[in-house]
Amino acid sequence: MIEFSAIYYDGKTSARTPVRVRGYTRTLHIVGADVNIEVPLPEVRVDAPVANTRRALHLPGGSQLQTEDHAALAALFPRAHRLQTWVQALERRWGYALAAIVVIGGFTWWCLSYGLPVTAKAIAGFVPITIEAKLGEQTLYTLDQSLCSPSAVAADRRQAVLKSFGTLTAGLNDGYAYRLELRACGRIGPNALALPGGTVVVTDDLVNLAQNDQQVAAILAHEIGHVRYRHGLRLALQAAGVAALIAALAGDAVSITNLAVILPTALLQSGYSRELEAEADLYAFQRLKEIGSSPKYFAEIMTLLEEHRDKRASSEGNGKRDKSADASGASDYLSTHPATARRIERALANQ
Amino acid sequence: MATCPNCDAQILLEASKCPACSAVFGEGSAWHPIAQSPEVEQQLRQRYAASTPTIATEVTSGGNEIARVEKVIDAPEIRYPVEFTASVGEYFRIWIVNLALTILTLGIYSAWAKVRKKRYFYGHTKIAGDSFEYRANPVAILKGRLIAVGALAVLYAVGQFAPSFRWIVYIAAAFIVPWLIVRSMAFKAYNSAYRNIRLHFRGTYLECLRIIVGYGLLMPVTFGLAYPYLKARLVKFAAWNHYYGTMQFEVADLRQQFRRIFGNGVVGIGLLIGLVVGALHGGGTAVFGWRPDSSAVSVGSTLVSYAGLLLIFAYSRSRYTNATFNNLSLGRVRFECALRARELFWLYLVNILAIIVTLGLATPWAAVRTLSYRAEKMTMLAAGGLDNFFAAESAQVSAAGEEVGEMFDIDIGL
Repeated sequence: MIEFSAIYYDGKTSARTPVRVRGYTRTLHIVGADVNIEVPLPEVRVDAPVANTRRALHLPGGSQLQTEDHAALAALFPRAHRLQTWVQALERRWGYALAAIVVIGGFTWWCLSYGLPVTAKAIAGFVPITIEAKLGEQTLYTLDQSLCSPSAVAADRRQAVLKSFGTLTAGLNDGYAYRLELRACGRIGPNALALPGGTVVVTDDLVNLAQNDQQVAAILAHEIGHVRYRHGLRLALQAAGVAALIAALAGDAVSITNLAVILPTALLQSGYSRELEAEADLYAFQRLKEIGSSPKYFAEIMTLLEEHRDKRASSEGNGKRDKSADASGASDYLSTHPATARRIERALANQ
Repeated sequence: MATCPNCDAQILLEASKCPACSAVFGEGSAWHPIAQSPEVEQQLRQRYAASTPTIATEVTSGGNEIARVEKVIDAPEIRYPVEFTASVGEYFRIWIVNLALTILTLGIYSAWAKVRKKRYFYGHTKIAGDSFEYRANPVAILKGRLIAVGALAVLYAVGQFAPSFRWIVYIAAAFIVPWLIVRSMAFKAYNSAYRNIRLHFRGTYLECLRIIVGYGLLMPVTFGLAYPYLKARLVKFAAWNHYYGTMQFEVADLRQQFRRIFGNGVVGIGLLIGLVVGALHGGGTAVFGWRPDSSAVSVGSTLVSYAGLLLIFAYSRSRYTNATFNNLSLGRVRFECALRARELFWLYLVNILAIIVTLGLATPWAAVRTLSYRAEKMTMLAAGGLDNFFAAESAQVSAAGEEVGEMFDIDIGL
């Protein structure tokens, strides 16, 4: 027999009655002021244990006992809530808490560096190109609304760029409807973007920065690499994955504190496109060689871009050197392109 | 003979308990048998004279008695502080272990994790020595989450791939949101109990839809000035539809108070914008010699505006909550809530900074201290004490189709 103290609630009123409970093999006998009942043990449902909070015994008919005598309940219901009893044992020790930190940290790291990119790549394989193209159209529309205006490049230069784009995409037969769009986008400077579905956007500044068409072609080859490997779609899927991961990890942070997790997302975003850039670079080197050009033009245009960026950073920094150093440090960290020197080296090695 | 005030059953005059519904009568109890005839009424009055003393006041007008008002003299109010006894260390271990299990099971365990965390907090929230109970079934929560994830995926896909169909999603949302509000309130209420009496929520979808759509249309027309009315209406909807057992919650009209709080908040936002613009143009240049576009000023003004927004958030959160609870009553029970905007601001600020600095590991600490602060500022007052306080649970309630409340749980903050 197991005897313990509890409080009895009849389930009809909010009155509480302190009682003594005697647990036998088949019944519970509950005795207190105005209470004297016997309940068959199999009909009693016990709550799972959570830390040292009071546990409730739900009696048939809606009445209830609550007790803090955890040892008595463990003896009375040795086989109830096995899973949660095991979880409770884990929750009790700091050692398991530390192990949990390691598991969470490791999983997060694995997800960001490996799991999400691989999953995104796998899922991207199932998305039809027509849907991908829709995503690209939407992006181009947004660009035209916010950042870019029609190109102002001279007609002959424009023809030359379009021609080299035609050479690069001829005979690829990968299902993409390749299209080149020239745009004047002052705010993003010399740049090129590969939109999902086959549209490549090149800014006037980039065309003007390049010393010859071969250099423009090198950048175009790189962007075509992005399109072929579906990087835009993969990035969109990865961003959704990161959002889901963060929601899962921070799901129960108290309301406003959720704000605190938005910033790290921006930083993580830049992390993975490095591998994608390298992948597109490799494709560009190979394709340039196929059409009889050379990766050395890629190295040249990258050098030009790097110089351009340095120039801009130093012109912004006039008069307040310490602050500009801070600012350019930050923009380097947030930059989506991996250390340019390494990319140039790789291009030269691939000649 | 007399009748039971709770279930209308025929009972004996001298009964101390209703044999049909177990309602307790007697000294200090809120309920007394209802007389069926004037003679019985007289006897009842003698019998319960001691427990509910009344004073008869003659209301006269020009010497003529027009009414006789009997006012019940309330038994003295007893104050019950809300105790919160959770410990940071214990909750940290529960939080981290359950998070790890959630991850290892790819999110499936998250429903169980939620129930364990809620049960820990409910179990450590005590009034008059008794703790609250969270009774949700994890499987119901898991179902709700799967449906929510599915719906979000559809929304995301429509937004990304078929933007021209977005308006369909918006219109659908206008009809779905009230349903979600009603369901989540019902779920939360139905799964919360104190002294083995559940809360119930009986708000209907149609009433909620009317509020959401009606005020939703009013918001753009009034440039958002209808917000305090919407909020007051939602609080009214929520309060009057909540029951503790069979006892209904009541709330006073909050429109005027909410309007004042909202007005102060808007003034605060105006001042804030003025401050930031002032810092950007002129202020910075004059005082510190910075150029208006220099990064230090823009970082400074960003920080000022975040801090200002947090302050306005803390202000309105504390005032809205105080106004709501101070005007809420449940039979002879009422509440006192005394949150302070300044304290709440520091609480949130320190929480945010701590969570950032510790990469999220301070989350349980932040949760415990936030709940602990809120409990500390909350008091329950019961005329005649809680032990005589009565809230019968009639058999009807659980049969009233509230099992639907067990269907899903979707977290919605109002």
